[in-house]
Amino acid sequence: MTAPVHAHGLGKRYGATWALRDCTLEIPTGSVTALVGPNGAGKTTLLQLVVGLSRPTDGSVRVFGADPVGDPAAVLQHVGFVAQEHPLYRGFTIADTLKLGLKMNPNWDDELAHARIEQLGLPIRRKVGKLSGGQQAQVALTLALAKRPDLLVLDEPVASLDPLARREFLQSLMEAVAEGGLTVILSSHILADLERVCDHIIILANGRTQLASPIDDVVATHRLLTGPRADAAAIARMHDVVSERHTERQTSLLVRANGHVYDATWELHEVDLEEIVLAYLARDRSAMADTVRSA
Amino acid sequence: MIWVSWRRQRTETLVTAALLALLAAVLVPTGIEMASTFDRDGLAACLGAQPGQACASALSSFNSRFDSLGSFIAWLTLVPGLIGVLLAAPLVLELEHRTHRLAWTQSVSRARWLAGKLGLAIAVALAASLVFTLLVTWWRAPMVRIDGRLDQSVFDSEGTVVSGYTLFALGLAAAVGVVWRRAVASLVVGFVGYFAARIFVDTWLRQRFLSPVTTTFNLLSGGPDKLRHAWVLNEYPSDRAGHHVRIPFDLCGPPPPGGGKPDIGNCLADHGVFMHATYLPAGRFWALQGIETALFCGVALVLLAFAAWWTYSRAD
Amino acid sequence: MILFHLDPRSGVPTYLQLVQQVRQAVQLGILRPGDQLPTVKDVVGALAINPNTVLKAYRELDHEGLVVARRGVGTFVADELPSPPDDLKGLRASLHRWVERARAAGLDDENIAALLAETTRAERPARVA
Repeated sequence: MTAPVHAHGLGKRYGATWALRDCTLEIPTGSVTALVGPNGAGKTTLLQLVVGLSRPTDGSVRVFGADPVGDPAAVLQHVGFVAQEHPLYRGFTIADTLKLGLKMNPNWDDELAHARIEQLGLPIRRKVGKLSGGQQAQVALTLALAKRPDLLVLDEPVASLDPLARREFLQSLMEAVAEGGLTVILSSHILADLERVCDHIIILANGRTQLASPIDDVVATHRLLTGPRADAAAIARMHDVVSERHTERQTSLLVRANGHVYDATWELHEVDLEEIVLAYLARDRSAMADTVRSA
Repeated sequence: MIWVSWRRQRTETLVTAALLALLAAVLVPTGIEMASTFDRDGLAACLGAQPGQACASALSSFNSRFDSLGSFIAWLTLVPGLIGVLLAAPLVLELEHRTHRLAWTQSVSRARWLAGKLGLAIAVALAASLVFTLLVTWWRAPMVRIDGRLDQSVFDSEGTVVSGYTLFALGLAAAVGVVWRRAVASLVVGFVGYFAARIFVDTWLRQRFLSPVTTTFNLLSGGPDKLRHAWVLNEYPSDRAGHHVRIPFDLCGPPPPGGGKPDIGNCLADHGVFMHATYLPAGRFWALQGIETALFCGVALVLLAFAAWWTYSRAD
Repeated sequence: MILFHLDPRSGVPTYLQLVQQVRQAVQLGILRPGDQLPTVKDVVGALAINPNTVLKAYRELDHEGLVVARRGVGTFVADELPSPPDDLKGLRASLHRWVERARAAGLDDENIAALLAETTRAERPARVA
């Protein structure tokens, strides 16, 4: 079974800047993967490479085994995409928008599309430009789902939505996933949402993959250790330290534990996903600052 | 794909149709009037070899009646430019609003999408050019029978050139628009560029398409037939051999010393008054049309190809 | 039909919350033997959570014998509920006594709950890591 997405050494450069570098990852079938990272981390670049809107500068990406740039027709039939700010034709009615989906997608399920619009209570004869942000996002999602994709790619789908619209969007999305046969990648800032909805996470910062792992594993293997400062070095040798804080005598380390931490001098605490993600993002920023200072 | 391209271009196509309908509403009544005046006054007979006595005044009255209308209609040559840039709008707007991210992630390849969009724009441009040309050509038919169709203000709405103009305007606005991604500004630039190109060709380039012919003729015996409906590029008084002279001095010599008027009347009667003309004969009409059409269409093709290539290789 | 709710701040994993809510519902009689549990689609549609979480909860309940999954039909409360652990009565009694002692020592409900949470958490790493 070919993986929905397989990237190898993937990189994209715009002019002199590398927006994405050395990205190797595989998205597991049937997963709902969160793509997290600060602005400019390369999330949109990665997603654009996956759907063939961009051409890689380095490395390769394969979607169900096919090249999205070289063989767009083969890939796009199986991939539903909602770009940032869910672009739609404002002058089209919802009905027109669905007709566009019908005309441009051989696998289009018109019944499903109309049923979904009706179930959501959206006014099918109204122009898209006159809908609320949440309604537009739902239309864009319908457009992506009705082509019966095997992979759904969403670039910050809920960023501009109010909390209620966001919740409704995610409910809708999860129902679609529950029906089976769908792998989802969604990028977002809002970590709380991602934790409910996703089972895999990829952290991107500065164009590089910081972490790619099932969420349960992430929470299970990361621990906050507090203990005497003097012993910090020993711990650091055995486990991956993600972030650290020191006072004169005490140290607090967030580690990705390689096995059990047996040392009794250290207090162990579980950490929630949000704290772990923030630690990874902060780590990269300080590393960047260090390189800048030393340069 | 056709429905999608049509639906995206619907507004621009309807505006084009409305523009042409407006044009027809203005031209049809006046055209009918002009044609019936032409027939009523029997002007057809005046264009033959033996014009009757009344012809001079009949022609003159016809001209004075419809001349100003004719010069007003000459400004219509801006319409193909207007239509051309308008039809570039759907493509430019797609990139300006970044909805291409939607269009390119359905199951249709980018190439097919582009082909549909540009193909339809070109088709509508050609159809509109045809309608425009037929309309104006029909309207002007009586005048053309009198004055021919090589004149600057007539030539550019007859024959095939209008299709070249429209495609050129379309190509220019599209090429500027896909790079700049600002629809209104690009259309304005496209139209201004169209205007400049037209002026350049109209006033300078067209006369250099073909090598002109020269002739020297006696003014007093009326113009030769070959100059009928021709495009006279240059014309000056000359001697029998065609050399430029200044009447009456070069011909008749300086006034005799001691005063008195030289006898110009006799002098001219002896020598004859000749004109030397450089011209393109009426029969050159289609050759000129062909060259100008090919020129504008050729440039249009390059611009459209560029616009297509530029769009095709973008991501975002 | 049971209505699920989620407390994202409780520190209890989502699937476990669902399991606990089903257990409670059965004990309180809101769910009776033979009743159908909401479909995965209904649950995720209401809570906006990953379907795998619901599947995990239902699997756990099936494992405990509290529910039965019937392929293509749905998940149903078992006709014969497993008997509660033998020393549940004993556990409950000693818990009663401990709570009395804690209250006598001056601990309020919140402190009692915190102490309990800390203790259960301390016991958990052995299972997860």
